[in-house]
Amino acid sequence: MATRTLGALVVLLLAITICEAASVFHPISDSHRSAASELFTQGSFDSLEKAYEALRSFEVLGIDKPDIRGATCKSVVEKLGSSESAPKDLFYALKVNSILKCGVKKEVLEGIASRLKAVVNGASSLLDIYYSIGSLVLIKDQTSEVDVLLADADGVFRSIKSLSQSDGRWRYSSDNPQSSTYAAGLAIEALAGVVSLASSEIDQSMIGKLKRDVSKLFDSVEKYDDGAFYFDEKVDQSPLSTTASVVRGLTALAAVTSEKLKVPGEKILGLAKFFLGIGIPGNNKDFFNQIDSLASLESNKVSVPLILSLPTTVLSLTKKDQLKVKVGTVLGSSAPPLTVKLLRAFSSGSKDASIIASQELKFDKESGYHVLDVLPKSVDVGSYIFVFEVVLHDSEDETVYTTGGLAQVDVFVTGVINIENAEISVLESDKSVETQKKLDLAGENAVSLSANHLQKLRLSFQLTTPLGHAFKPHQVFLKLTHETKVEHIFVVGNSGKKFEKILDFLGLVDKFYYLSGSYDLQLTVGDAVMENSFLRAIGHIDLDLPEAPEKATRPPSPAVNPLLKYGPKAEISHIFRVPEKLPPNHLSLAFLGLLLLPLIGFLVGLLRLGVNLKNFPTSAVPATFGILFHVGIAAVLLLYVLFWLKLDLFTTLKWLGLLGVFLLFVGHRILSHLASTSSKLKSA
Amino acid sequence: MVKPSSSSSSTSQDALALFNSLRSAYSATPTALKIIDLYVGFAVSTAIIQVVYMALVGSFPFNSFLSGVLSCIGTAVLAVCLRIQVNKENKEFKDLAPERAFADFVLCNLVLHLVIMNFLG
Amino acid sequence: MLKLLLAFLTLTLPFLAHSFSPDHPTDRRVLVLLDDLAVKSSHSLFFKTLQSRGFDLDFKLADDPKIGLQRYGQYTYDALILFSPTVDRFGGSIDLAAILDFVDTGHDLIIAADTNASDLIRQISVECGVDFDEDPSAMVIDHTSYAVSDSEGDHTLIASDDFISSDVILGSKKIEASSILDNAPVLFKGIGHTINSENSLVLKVLSASPSAYSANPNSKLSSPPSLTGSSISLVSVVQARNNARVLISGSLSMFSDRFFRSKVQKAGSPDKHEKSANEQFLTELSKWVFHERGHLKAVNVRHHKVGEADEPAIYRINDDVEYSIEIYEWHGKSWEPYVADDVQVQFYMMSPYVLKTLSTDKKGNYFTAFKVPDVYGVFQFKVEYHRLGYTSVALSKQIPVRPFRHNEYERFIPAAYPYYGAAFTMMTGFFVFTVVHLYNK
Repeated sequence: MATRTLGALVVLLLAITICEAASVFHPISDSHRSAASELFTQGSFDSLEKAYEALRSFEVLGIDKPDIRGATCKSVVEKLGSSESAPKDLFYALKVNSILKCGVKKEVLEGIASRLKAVVNGASSLLDIYYSIGSLVLIKDQTSEVDVLLADADGVFRSIKSLSQSDGRWRYSSDNPQSSTYAAGLAIEALAGVVSLASSEIDQSMIGKLKRDVSKLFDSVEKYDDGAFYFDEKVDQSPLSTTASVVRGLTALAAVTSEKLKVPGEKILGLAKFFLGIGIPGNNKDFFNQIDSLASLESNKVSVPLILSLPTTVLSLTKKDQLKVKVGTVLGSSAPPLTVKLLRAFSSGSKDASIIASQELKFDKESGYHVLDVLPKSVDVGSYIFVFEVVLHDSEDETVYTTGGLAQVDVFVTGVINIENAEISVLESDKSVETQKKLDLAGENAVSLSANHLQKLRLSFQLTTPLGHAFKPHQVFLKLTHETKVEHIFVVGNSGKKFEKILDFLGLVDKFYYLSGSYDLQLTVGDAVMENSFLRAIGHIDLDLPEAPEKATRPPSPAVNPLLKYGPKAEISHIFRVPEKLPPNHLSLAFLGLLLLPLIGFLVGLLRLGVNLKNFPTSAVPATFGILFHVGIAAVLLLYVLFWLKLDLFTTLKWLGLLGVFLLFVGHRILSHLASTSSKLKSA
Repeated sequence: MVKPSSSSSSTSQDALALFNSLRSAYSATPTALKIIDLYVGFAVSTAIIQVVYMALVGSFPFNSFLSGVLSCIGTAVLAVCLRIQVNKENKEFKDLAPERAFADFVLCNLVLHLVIMNFLG
Repeated sequence: MLKLLLAFLTLTLPFLAHSFSPDHPTDRRVLVLLDDLAVKSSHSLFFKTLQSRGFDLDFKLADDPKIGLQRYGQYTYDALILFSPTVDRFGGSIDLAAILDFVDTGHDLIIAADTNASDLIRQISVECGVDFDEDPSAMVIDHTSYAVSDSEGDHTLIASDDFISSDVILGSKKIEASSILDNAPVLFKGIGHTINSENSLVLKVLSASPSAYSANPNSKLSSPPSLTGSSISLVSVVQARNNARVLISGSLSMFSDRFFRSKVQKAGSPDKHEKSANEQFLTELSKWVFHERGHLKAVNVRHHKVGEADEPAIYRINDDVEYSIEIYEWHGKSWEPYVADDVQVQFYMMSPYVLKTLSTDKKGNYFTAFKVPDVYGVFQFKVEYHRLGYTSVALSKQIPVRPFRHNEYERFIPAAYPYYGAAFTMMTGFFVFTVVHLYNK
């Protein structure tokens, strides 16, 4: 249940969005033709069913596509020649053949016909019967030389009829309990085929029963608000394919029965509106279903729907647009002679009395439109509902065509609204005027005002329609924008023609977040029927508001341009720690030199003292030890220097140990020798 | 000793007289001791130059400064010790052979210089 | 090549967590939920543009009881398109939480609302950061920037060309050599929304003009409408922090064939455009949403000392470092080098010590050299690249920095030469002394 309403809602939505207007349907136009060329683009088709869809669409729309012929005809002949083809394949092959006229041999068709007759007599499923009967009808149309008439037409009729349900729908086969409207369409088409293939007259009572079934089926048709009728099936088939199937069946039946089927013209017109309301479908099958159904409706024997359409529902008083109406068939062909009357027109908002008298539209033969040269003087700007009546000239046409009686169309009449006496002023609290400035709202203004919180701002202007009446646009806004981009919008109210807005700053202090400063003033006036809707900057006002108390609300923070958040950041380079300021090199070197002085002084002093080496042992062994001792000391000192330069402590200590032992030994010898010599000297 | 006659020139005369007596007394010291004294003077002057340098530029490689100054002062101290021990007029060290003192001196200096080299950086 | 790829992907479908992988970021399998299967036909051009780019669209009714985004814990779709503005409850296992999880795990989403959008669709949009007008009968009306039309006179069909200026999101129009477009506006008919300006993840792609407002066209206004002017967004995109992209539009009919094929004339302008920009705009936008553009990957981070080739495990202060990275952009079928001049690297420890812009060789290589600061600690090489419309690149590589070893200082300090000299002269003096002292008489 929920899905049903949902579905209906959505299709309604789609109808609104896809339809050109809620109440206006347009017949097929060139945009359909160009869309068809885009949609069916393949040179060769996957299957003959798809080929048929494309070819039929091109045929209806009058598009010529010679290049597909060769490959398609080849597969047609192949399918028809093959003895394994199912009735469905034969059906579509014959359909393609009827369009392309591939020149199939009579013998082939004869063979097919006899096979199909056997299928018809023995089949139990609706689809088999449908395809077989359909193929036989096609053969009958293509050549009169092959005998396709059914011997037991009554029997076949009955067997198909046996699958019908009480609500007008059909089952697919006797074992399948599910009934379907799509199947009903197929069945009715098949029955119409049986009637045309009957060798002897079919029992009229059965045809009468069939007509009642059709009426019952049409009782279950669903309706949209905009007047479109359709059939829907929840499973398998979309509304479009279901409705297309029923239309095919209905038109086929109407073509073979002599009496008129009792289907109200309103419903036929509704079905036509449904197909037209889809706009341009996006896939092949939907497009084919739409175009094929419309072609069936164009020349059906029940009643041909005539569509009333307006090329434009927006009329401009300034451009002195004329009201044009076109009445034609669904495929855009011209209608029989008729008159279009504009019965009444009233404002969309109120269903008051009509503002105009009933008048006829003049028919312009060249353009095919019914035209109202000049809109009645009482029509001012606004949105209206125009009610049209279509009257056929020839009363006999009324049995053939259906016009739908009255048609309601939404029309917008636009015009230029006059803006006068615009002025902006700053008022004191006692209503006396402090500053007043005139505004020219047709052009740019840049007034500069200033006010404090005890004063008021008044903006006033007058709006009149082209006919001089008062006009209340849908959008009349006065916007104040602070420097920090905080905005405040006010609706300007009116009494009659005069629009006035008084901003009492004392009461608005809180709303303005106590922000003082320069506010830009902007006025926007707009309406659907106003041709000169505008958004104008008026100027700016410097407001002096008191300080915000503690509990006041904070103004909203200004919007940040998102592009600024995404940007490269400033480069950072590290500032290295400055090393300590060291003395200049030459100072160090100078002192290094200075340090040599004491050494030199020492050496010089030694020489002055008259040092000698007299105590140096003269004999060889002690001399050697002596030398070795000093060499050892020098070696240790050199070792120390090496240690400072590059050795580590462990190596140094190792060597030191070795040298130390050596030095001890040697030192001991030389020193003991020196001690003994000096003691010898003492004792001596 | 000459007694100063007037007070105005007494201090300068005293200083001069003192200096002269010091000089004459000093020249009596044996050469060996003079050598040691000279050595000590050399060490101390080196130390003073380093301190002046440090006062000028700051003590940036403080370890090097300490090492340099310490090598001078250390070796000066050791030389003074040697002088005391070698000086024949010192009664305490009569029994100590001067060679022994010298051996100590050498050993201590070598250790001192090792430490200095390590600390020099 | 693409067929092979598709065949491979479809074969390995059951075994892949999702074929949306880091190496192949474009989505492949898309679930399209519709209110009514007629949308499949009336919006066929849009779906065709997707299918021609290799997407695998799966059309289902929104309340179909068998639909689901996951099976046995794995997502069976890479992206979701919700063309079901009036759905009150999804069928199967899809609900608000499931859709939000879907986006949270990095999958993309396109939502189209329309007049009479249901609460569910509004809720999903709010979770994505977009607030539709609360009034259910409101539409966006613009009396100065509407599309001149013979059949729609109430100014709810708007022609807007206030696009976000981002070549990444909208494609570079110079590449499309279609002269018919010529700055054609985009047709829109539906509801408007606002975004929170503090939210940096949501962007207005198509904004309304300053005179637009959101109200019920059939009833008079007594108080100012809550949505007015350029703050009304008609189409917004969201790029989440996990790089999932969401497109939210206030009009389902914007995607329809009728709008794609329609001529446009903006009110107040004499230019009559043969074709609206809807097809190009939405195609380019869908390319961006499905990661065919603007998806970056940064690989091959290398750093080493100047002059060496290996990556050391630790740096020393005052070292000269070279850092290089490669950034590629996915172009729908392959990774192309990404060229920009504002990629930056940070040498970061608690705060960036060094921030440098990387130079590029225009083949995807970005490199720079800098000196390691003289602060030691554990640093990170951070590349954080956030640009409008691009997925965010956030890489960091940790590297410790040590101070000087004791033997990395200057060996001989010139200021200390006098001290060295003193030590050596003392040693020399000592040596001379030992000689003199022993042998003097």
